[in-house]
Amino acid sequence: MNAWHIAVKDLHILFRDRGIVIQLLVLPLIFILVFSGAIQAGAGGQSDTRLPLTVVNEDTGSKAQTLLAGIEEAGGIRVVPQERAVVEGQLDNSELPRALFIPSNFSADLDAGRQTNLRLVSRPDANAPRTEAMRLVIEGVARDMALEPQILLSLQQMGEMMANVPDAFAILAVEKGPAQARSQFESSRTRPLVELVTTVPQRVSTVEEQATAAQLAVPGFTVLFVFLTAQATARSIYDEKKVGSFRRLLASPIPKAQLLAGKMLPNVIASLIQVAVIFSFGIFALPLLGQPALSLGNAPLGVALVALLMALCSSGLGILIAALARTENQIGGLSAVLLWAMGLIGGSFIPVFFLERFLGPVMRVVPHYWANSAFTNLLVRGAGLSEVLPQMLALLVFTAGFFAIGLWRFEFD
Amino acid sequence: MPAILEVENLVKKFGDFEAVKGVSFTVEEGEVFGLLGPNGAGKTTTISMLTGILPPSAGTARIGGYDIRTEMDRAKTLNGLVPQDLALYPTLSARANLEFFGRIYGLHGRDLKERVADVLRIVSLTERADQTIETFSGGMKRRVNIAAGLVHQPRLLFLDEPTVGVDPQSRNYIFESVLRLNRDRGMSIIYTSHYMEEVELLCNRAAIIDQGQIVALDTIKNLIGLLGGGVIHVGIERADPAMLEALSALPAVKEADVITPPIAAPLAPDAEPEQQERSPVASGAVIKVITEHSQQALVNIIGYLNAKDLTLTSLEILEPNLESVFLHLTGKKLRD
Repeated sequence: MNAWHIAVKDLHILFRDRGIVIQLLVLPLIFILVFSGAIQAGAGGQSDTRLPLTVVNEDTGSKAQTLLAGIEEAGGIRVVPQERAVVEGQLDNSELPRALFIPSNFSADLDAGRQTNLRLVSRPDANAPRTEAMRLVIEGVARDMALEPQILLSLQQMGEMMANVPDAFAILAVEKGPAQARSQFESSRTRPLVELVTTVPQRVSTVEEQATAAQLAVPGFTVLFVFLTAQATARSIYDEKKVGSFRRLLASPIPKAQLLAGKMLPNVIASLIQVAVIFSFGIFALPLLGQPALSLGNAPLGVALVALLMALCSSGLGILIAALARTENQIGGLSAVLLWAMGLIGGSFIPVFFLERFLGPVMRVVPHYWANSAFTNLLVRGAGLSEVLPQMLALLVFTAGFFAIGLWRFEFD
Repeated sequence: MPAILEVENLVKKFGDFEAVKGVSFTVEEGEVFGLLGPNGAGKTTTISMLTGILPPSAGTARIGGYDIRTEMDRAKTLNGLVPQDLALYPTLSARANLEFFGRIYGLHGRDLKERVADVLRIVSLTERADQTIETFSGGMKRRVNIAAGLVHQPRLLFLDEPTVGVDPQSRNYIFESVLRLNRDRGMSIIYTSHYMEEVELLCNRAAIIDQGQIVALDTIKNLIGLLGGGVIHVGIERADPAMLEALSALPAVKEADVITPPIAAPLAPDAEPEQQERSPVASGAVIKVITEHSQQALVNIIGYLNAKDLTLTSLEILEPNLESVFLHLTGKKLRD
């Protein structure tokens, strides 16, 4: 209970400090606006929210063009033509979540009424709902396209039957015609002329997704600024020591663990408020500014738990900084270098899946990486709670480590 | 009167440095006890151990019967601390500060509101209660600092240099508050200061502490009585043991001793001529004369010097007070 009293008092002090409020809430929003705007401009300027579908079209006939036009007309998907070699390389290098391959004989097979295969290659760690949505659109368009040759084929077969039948049996041929047509349509369902085959690439590594600007900028800067509040924890402890109120708290009947918990709690609460404000901004305000809205993915509970663990980890880091730094300048200097550098290494400025390609496992030494990785999986890839358990465990380990070292090095007197 | 505080051989070491070297004293219920000593003497370290801020390196103390080594949590509920620093939250109001400190001692609801109102009355800040501390003068901040140590009604209040940096008016106000708390509410108070006038004015008894040790402990009257009727520092060109003996034997003089420089030992007969030239007695000496009555003693001392045809080079009369007692006991001034 005493920890709660300390936390309430600290929150009162915290939210009276305009500088802190600006750092907690306003600065992240400015960063998000600037970066998401820049990312979007870099990606083509206009706010095209359609899902990009990379297509390798090796067909020289008109049917493939009709298929691609049909996919775009269906809405929601933007066709991005690309060369086979490039696409295969990107799939191998985790630079592309999925691609559609149209074979060279696509038009010829369709014209001849022969079955042909489209191949949708999707990485196993790509956003599954998006892959499924694209599969349904491609299948729908392909089926409509296949209908025309199917009808023509059945009419042709009926004509052949009518031409060869003797007059006495003409009535039987007329009865047989519709049956033949039904058989053709049945065959088109069970054995379609165009079959969409979904496959996975050979090599599988960490996923990359084609995310929106909001999905990249909002979680990245949320992680950065939540960890920056560690500085506020450290400064709050320093201020208490400086004015002497920490001595007064030590002389009161509050156990030391509760005292430190009381100093951590305000920043946990402030961090959660921070996450709520920034995510709300991403969901509701960004669309009003002409940018794509942030999606919370398929596991909002997972997002909430990751946010809570991240807030705890940040406060633990604050205790550690307070234990190591002896002066106000040291707190400022240590925080500036440590927290911004950790944010940079941990993928707050540059998405984790890009940064991993040249930083590799180095990123894993900072908690920011695990928080960013968890948010990327949840928000961008639509992963479930169970899929981010390793990241959550890592954040928990970091929290325990920071707190334990902080407690060990902390000078209460 | 039962003792509210019993301190036994309390020691605090920081590495090799011994800040407190085995202090022992008792404070009775309802007593105002002074800890007098210069900066760095070990007063605050002693208080830090007694209030649970620092663990003792050795020795112990009992507060209200609770041993600070084994029952500090209970002892803390009896203690109130007014630290030397302004241990307040500047951006919160006086009331918010006091309510917070009340809550951490378990006060809540109506009790808390009444206690806060009470201590605001004690320090006469009811009218300014809802203003933030940062808008207060130094003296007003000191008063809130005291109120914060009182809000949970401690039985034993530690006031650690409460008047540092305070204007005379606020200082008087603090004195009145301390005396009222002791007189009207029977609160036991440990008052540390390096201002001897404050200790003389407020305390029944005092311990004089220097370099981590208690060098004297008694009632204020008895401590001052150590110097009898006062001390006279007599500066002369030369001093020798015979002169000191003669001075000590004068009426109204209790004892006489050289304080600067020390009397040299008589030289050996075979000493070098160069050494022989140096006087066997101290030259440019200051003799400390402890008197039973300073004015009578002064007349006798001057009469003796005239009779011996000795030249007086300086003269200083120290009236008997804690400052001169401290100087007498440690050879240093309190504010050194």
